[in-house]
Amino acid sequence: MDKTTVQELIQPTIKARNVDVYYGETHALMGIDLDIAPKTVTALIGPSGCGKSTFLRCINRMNDTIPSCRMTGKITLDGEDIYSKNIDVVQLRAKVGMVFQKANPFPKSIYDNVAYGPRIHGLAADDKDLDEIVFSSLQRSGLWNEVKDRLDKSGTALSGGQQQRLCIARTIAVNPEVILMDEPCSALDPIATAIIEELIADLKERFTIVIVTHSMQQAARLSQKTAFFHLGKILEFGDTSEIFTNPRVEKTKDYITGRYG
Amino acid sequence: MTDLKQNTASLKSQARLKKRYRKERLFKAIGLSGLLSGLLALTIMMISILSTGLSGFSETRIKFDIYMDPEIIGSTDGYDETEYRDHIAQINHSTLIRNSLKIKFSDVKGRRDVFNLQKLVSSGSREEVRRLLIEDKNLIGKTIAMDLLASSNVDMYVKGQISRDVNQSERKISDRQLAWLDILESEGRILKGFNWKFFSTGDSREPELAGILGAAMGSFLTLLVTLLIAFPIGVASALYLEEFAPHNKWTDLIEININNLAAVPSIIFGLLGLAIFLNVFNMPRSAPLVGGLTLALMTLPTIIISSRAAIRAVPPSIRDAAIGMGASNLQAQFHHVLPLSMPGIMTGTIIGMAQALGETAPLLMIGMVAFIVDVPQGVLDAATALPVQIFLWADSPERGFMEKTSAAIIVLLVFLIMMNGLAIWVRHKFEKRW
Repeated sequence: MDKTTVQELIQPTIKARNVDVYYGETHALMGIDLDIAPKTVTALIGPSGCGKSTFLRCINRMNDTIPSCRMTGKITLDGEDIYSKNIDVVQLRAKVGMVFQKANPFPKSIYDNVAYGPRIHGLAADDKDLDEIVFSSLQRSGLWNEVKDRLDKSGTALSGGQQQRLCIARTIAVNPEVILMDEPCSALDPIATAIIEELIADLKERFTIVIVTHSMQQAARLSQKTAFFHLGKILEFGDTSEIFTNPRVEKTKDYITGRYG
Repeated sequence: MTDLKQNTASLKSQARLKKRYRKERLFKAIGLSGLLSGLLALTIMMISILSTGLSGFSETRIKFDIYMDPEIIGSTDGYDETEYRDHIAQINHSTLIRNSLKIKFSDVKGRRDVFNLQKLVSSGSREEVRRLLIEDKNLIGKTIAMDLLASSNVDMYVKGQISRDVNQSERKISDRQLAWLDILESEGRILKGFNWKFFSTGDSREPELAGILGAAMGSFLTLLVTLLIAFPIGVASALYLEEFAPHNKWTDLIEININNLAAVPSIIFGLLGLAIFLNVFNMPRSAPLVGGLTLALMTLPTIIISSRAAIRAVPPSIRDAAIGMGASNLQAQFHHVLPLSMPGIMTGTIIGMAQALGETAPLLMIGMVAFIVDVPQGVLDAATALPVQIFLWADSPERGFMEKTSAAIIVLLVFLIMMNGLAIWVRHKFEKRW
């Protein structure tokens, strides 16, 4: 049995069926069907404005904050419809964390940045527990050695790459199941990007990761599955190795070879 | 051919460049002259206020030997503390002073002259004698050298604001009084000192006795009420409108109206306060509570507008971060947006409060314009406010009130500068970068 079939046997963590999203009159996503397997990195690629970030924001219902945004269809997380009335959006977002394009640490201390999630979700029994969560989150995001002496300094004083890793630490501190990443490296230099990519490869062992990226190389390096979005539709979805070496659709080929996009 | 074309082009462009520079210089010159004329006006204003007002902070005293005549004071044998105090409060201090003055100027005879002689010292000096006697009963029967407060007219003369060159009928001090003053002056009995009373007493009909503590206290209590009402309501409204309210025609209408309210003449708010707080709710007239409520209505638009601007300036990425972490909208606002916008909100609030501090018109409508001697102790006591006090003194015919008016303006300006300075400090101190 080869690797692909094993992955197909595993129940997907996230299942999207027939998802349509509208911003006012604009039809941003049309009939999206997508299965995201657990403990893998799924890359969403495609030209700007194709709807990949919109889809990402559907998974933790961040689009709820945009008044004009409307969504139909069904997205399930572990078999539960995340848009059903019984789902508490606060708990959903604790389960599905998000890292944004521009690193956005809170203008508070590094410690408070990481401790914020556990605090509002009541995850730490006492101060010692909280210290432990902050320590392990920073450790896992590879930031501990760089910041252990200045946990009380502002998170905004760190470098861009460190800020992004702080945001990742903040996200994993609430121990989510899924981490959504919206172009996490687009504002970083190559070295900081390499560090974050390494980190993502590590995090895959524990978390299901969905990453939106504009870098073909990054998608090829990091992900096991790739979905190619074009004008609000998924034109092609499959194993990353398959898509990058042998795309079935002409448009995908054109895009990944850099003919447009 | 091409060379020539290029040359003319460069000549033209040079001319155009020159013209552009000229325009820029002209604009700079106009801007600078505007700024300078503003500064000049400000300087003239400050000089005029300071030159009339600074003398209001000093007072004139005349040294007299006061004989604590036991015959006038009467017997205090066997009185306990309170009985003694009550007795001293009732005796004729005026006669004590008059007799002592008559001892000094023994040639003065006749009711009218004695009356004029006593006019040299302030009616407030009776109070000074009384206080001294209450403090120490052993002074009875002794002659005490006291620095009695001079009357306002003497004060004005000593400060050079009444000239002895004009005709007697046209000045407030008679030739006779001037002669006495000359004698006192030559004996070194006329003293000048800092007018502490000005900062420790309330209003008075006598300029030399008038102070601004009552008005300052009234202003403080009024602003306290204003702040307590306007700040929470203003910030909450701003937060609701900016972050929670749906954006539709109704909220647009509310927004337009808030912006319009900020430009409504303040006296309209006074009428509103009169109609609602006094006539409908029957709250006490002239009270800082009502003044504060009325000024809160006036300040609310300012606070709401500046708070909304400050909240809007918080980058959306911070909200996204908090909401992405699973914070509720309210948590995102209170944990992140409000703390970040607080410097802007506080700056707007302090500016609004400074505006309220200088406001007179609405307070006139709700009766905070009365002559009130007592320093208010609470928000329900009758009170007046600093700008109203200035207005009242400016309206008084006595010459002595002229310098008091300017002195009160100086105090008001100092408060305003302090509040604006506080606003700048708050902005710099708490501003966070992200």
